[in-house]
Amino acid sequence: MSLAAAAFLGGAKSRLLPASVPFSFFTAATGFQVLAWGALVLSADELPGFRGGPGLILAAIHLLTLGVLVTTAMGAAFQLLPVATRRPLAAVWLAWLSFWLQVLGTFVLTFGMAIGGQEAMYAGASIVTGALVIFMLIVADNLRRAPDLPVVAAHGWGSLVAMLGFISLGIALIADYGTGLLTDHQSVALAHMILAAFGFMGLLSFGFSQVLIPMFALSRALPPRLGWSEFWLSIAACALGSIAALSGYRAGLLIAVMVGLGALGAYLWLMKEALRTGMRKRLGLSFVLIKLSWACLALCLALGLVLLSGITAPNGGVLFGFLLLSGWLLTFLTGILQRIMPFLASMHVAGKNSKPALLSELTAGLPLKIHAVCHIGAVVLCSIGIGANSVFLARSGATLGLVGALAFALFASLIVVRLRTVEK
Amino acid sequence: MTEQLAKEWPAPDGVHIDVRGLPPPEPMVAILTLLERPGMKGPLIVHHDREPIFLYPELAERGWQHEIIAGEPGEIRLRIARCR
Repeated sequence: MSLAAAAFLGGAKSRLLPASVPFSFFTAATGFQVLAWGALVLSADELPGFRGGPGLILAAIHLLTLGVLVTTAMGAAFQLLPVATRRPLAAVWLAWLSFWLQVLGTFVLTFGMAIGGQEAMYAGASIVTGALVIFMLIVADNLRRAPDLPVVAAHGWGSLVAMLGFISLGIALIADYGTGLLTDHQSVALAHMILAAFGFMGLLSFGFSQVLIPMFALSRALPPRLGWSEFWLSIAACALGSIAALSGYRAGLLIAVMVGLGALGAYLWLMKEALRTGMRKRLGLSFVLIKLSWACLALCLALGLVLLSGITAPNGGVLFGFLLLSGWLLTFLTGILQRIMPFLASMHVAGKNSKPALLSELTAGLPLKIHAVCHIGAVVLCSIGIGANSVFLARSGATLGLVGALAFALFASLIVVRLRTVEK
Repeated sequence: MTEQLAKEWPAPDGVHIDVRGLPPPEPMVAILTLLERPGMKGPLIVHHDREPIFLYPELAERGWQHEIIAGEPGEIRLRIARCR
């Protein structure tokens, strides 16, 4: 590990954004999570046999991906990257502008998807694109001026490239609904999903993990050589997967999944090292979710391998997408958020009062327990419902997910209220 | 991986630890390990190259408080003591 990398844990107070910036992104994301599960409850009868196209399911997917995952990633990146790279953000007002565009654009886009309105989809996608371009410029400017933490920065660059790809393909998909422009809509949709979920969100989550998991576990620094191996395998898997999807080259997809499993192996080895050497052994509920998310990613890739090998599984494609988005990314993100929100709140209090608030004072335990039970139940029930083609199980799972999302929104709201109380 | 260790030494004003140059999150781990050592009553004087704001919530949770004191140029020096 480079000595220059010794930046993340210190010297950051001047680079902390106003608390309202990251917490606006995080609370908006928790609200979108409620809407996503709510939309899934209403459309559960279409979930097991979903084959794409406008409707409530497509809206639910984008409430989850753009509304929850990307909005959280933006808030986390704006807050954590300047701390990690020791470079302040170019302008806080740009972060605010991207926030409002992201929230508005996601509402308009998902409304358009729900009603099948192409103009609304175009308008929403254009607004979201504006938000993401601002996000990309801010993050690129920050990464460009940051020689520290090269493995984390490389993941950031990779995710930005993937973002350009998934935005372009997303706009092409919307155009195709009205014009029939694309010869193979499904292949482009698959490439769009690979670049968005594995490329953008996956690289961000793998990169941030290499800083956040050791910090939460209080572990030794991770070996950079293995971090680079994981990074290049991830890049290769995403590039090969998206090119193979676009060209309809099935064997290429199979190879991409195998390379992705290699990347996952390297990543899990790094995480195991962090947990093994960590001085904090009781990691709490958040790590139950984080470990479950890793298991879901492994299951998702294994299912992809099975499906691409020619073995048929009922609604296998839908189950792959559900395990990817809800099982891996959403579970991982809620596990991380429930650790990082009280932590950031405590740091912000320390910034104002020179005396940090106790994490235990800022964390409401009961809503988190309700969320964990409901979320895990939702992932299990929906997965079985999709596999067994059972609308009842899918709707029951989505209802549990909705209750869990409401509990998580309560947890996030209580932190904001307590932050304001302590600050006063 | 080359193992770097924090330097520790006793002094009249407390136990000193120098974590400058350690990769993250090892400065925080070294400081917390020292604070949790049996018989450690403080104060602890930390020589750091940056202000470790991620450490502060962990200190508060364990009943310690910090203050920044005068150090060498380019150094952040912290005095960590039990909360009164």
